[in-house]
Amino acid sequence: MSPTEILTTLFSEFPYALYGSILVGIACAFLGVHIVAKRVVFLGAVLTQVSVLGLTLTFLPFIAIPHTLGALGATLATVVIISRLLTGKKIPRDAVLGVVFVTSVTARLLILQKTARVEVAEIENLLRGDILFVTPEIFYLMLTGFVIAAVAHLLFYKEFTFVSFDPDTAAAQGYRAGTWEMVFYLIAGMVISLATHMVGDLFVFGFLVIPPVTALLLTRNVRAIVLIAVSIGVVAPVIGLYLAFLLDVPASPAIVGVASAGLAGAWLWSTAAPRRA
Amino acid sequence: MSPTLIHLDRVTLGYGQKVILRDITVTIRQGEYFGLVGPNGAGKTTLLKAMLGILKPSGGTRTATHPEGRPLRFGYVPQRDSIDSVLPYTSSAVVMMGRFRQMGLFRLPGRADTAATLRALAHVGVEDLGAKVFRDLSGGQKQRVLIARALASDPDILILDEPTNGMDLTSRTAMLELIDGLHRRERLTIIMVSHLLDDVANHVEQIAIVEKDFFRVGDVREILTPAHLSALYGMPVKVDSLHGHYVVTVGGAHESN
Repeated sequence: MSPTEILTTLFSEFPYALYGSILVGIACAFLGVHIVAKRVVFLGAVLTQVSVLGLTLTFLPFIAIPHTLGALGATLATVVIISRLLTGKKIPRDAVLGVVFVTSVTARLLILQKTARVEVAEIENLLRGDILFVTPEIFYLMLTGFVIAAVAHLLFYKEFTFVSFDPDTAAAQGYRAGTWEMVFYLIAGMVISLATHMVGDLFVFGFLVIPPVTALLLTRNVRAIVLIAVSIGVVAPVIGLYLAFLLDVPASPAIVGVASAGLAGAWLWSTAAPRRA
Repeated sequence: MSPTLIHLDRVTLGYGQKVILRDITVTIRQGEYFGLVGPNGAGKTTLLKAMLGILKPSGGTRTATHPEGRPLRFGYVPQRDSIDSVLPYTSSAVVMMGRFRQMGLFRLPGRADTAATLRALAHVGVEDLGAKVFRDLSGGQKQRVLIARALASDPDILILDEPTNGMDLTSRTAMLELIDGLHRRERLTIIMVSHLLDDVANHVEQIAIVEKDFFRVGDVREILTPAHLSALYGMPVKVDSLHGHYVVTVGGAHESN
């Protein structure tokens, strides 16, 4: 296929794959900047697995709810439970996240083993998200989730920034630091849950981490970091999908691979010219 | 007598079931320069959090009201090492955070907030650091920026947690002079917390000594006695005066300076 044919096919046959990938790329890259800043990168990996577990639960015969609702419900419930533990000092953050991660994966494996309603391979496909077959329904649901997250960050920019940067002083000035942390994690949980259902855990976790880290290597301006990360969220899915068609490889790894290549380039650039970075 | 800003009445403080301090009564009055001193882990930060209202007492009462009847505005300066930002915020952006509470919800910083930020930076002598990345600054510079952030909030009380910790003699002296100046020139109410007795004793007017099962509060001259300090450190302590400065000798050696 020629490049023109590939692009034409993408736009005409798989428009929601293209728009959906870009949407998730932007949403995850934007949220990822804050998650990396809070040093809770592993939270992204954990919530994608919790979301996948929520999806799996909906295959149990006695839980007759839509897949998306299952994923969303499990993720938000987990966020409510762990947000207090994440801000506490009794148990280290990474230990809390590690426990939730391993519990989610274990529970999913056990449930899949006992699920007889459909083929396990088919479930796995749905659980991991299939970029090429993104439906308009899930796309618009994700778009709604992203708009809610973006508006919340616009309205509560000051609160999120202050509480993330210096929670003690924010509390001394009268902010309910724990509540604001919870609001942030709920928004992150919602976006991660919807995105995981739509494009799979690899894509989501990859874009929560790789674009923000790339941007941190390239600039020392907070606004520019957000702008660069979001730009990677737009560009990498387009190039990745194009390469997936061209080389006949799976879309999700191709897209994350493009983002990783960008990260490697940024690292080389920053190493070669540390004063510019 | 100046009006009371904060009053803790027989409070018990701790976390969960663990009691850190018991039966503490302390009053902070408007215009006072108050020192909170004690060894590391004695409960200074716990008491500070209770004064700020972050930690609710499990017993006793806390009142904190401005004489005009409104809630107090606290300008809190945390230990600078407690801030370890991944994102490269500029010093101006950090100081601007001090304005956030006054802006309220949904409002973005305006010209008045920018002007207040610049004024606060100039107030502590670091107006040239506004565009610099906060995490790249030296310890002393960071401390000044954090004080500027506290001042930008137009506080009723400035609260400093270990402001001279880890500083060399020059930076430490300059920092204490800066804090003294804020108190003397503007009659700003200040609470300074330190484990360094010399820092507190030679600058504040009122002092509280905090240690497990030991709490004394009052005028510096009344509290800084060999009997009190010997009880605090659990060994003989001498208190002398040299050129108008207190010199504390613990166990035969001069207390760390």
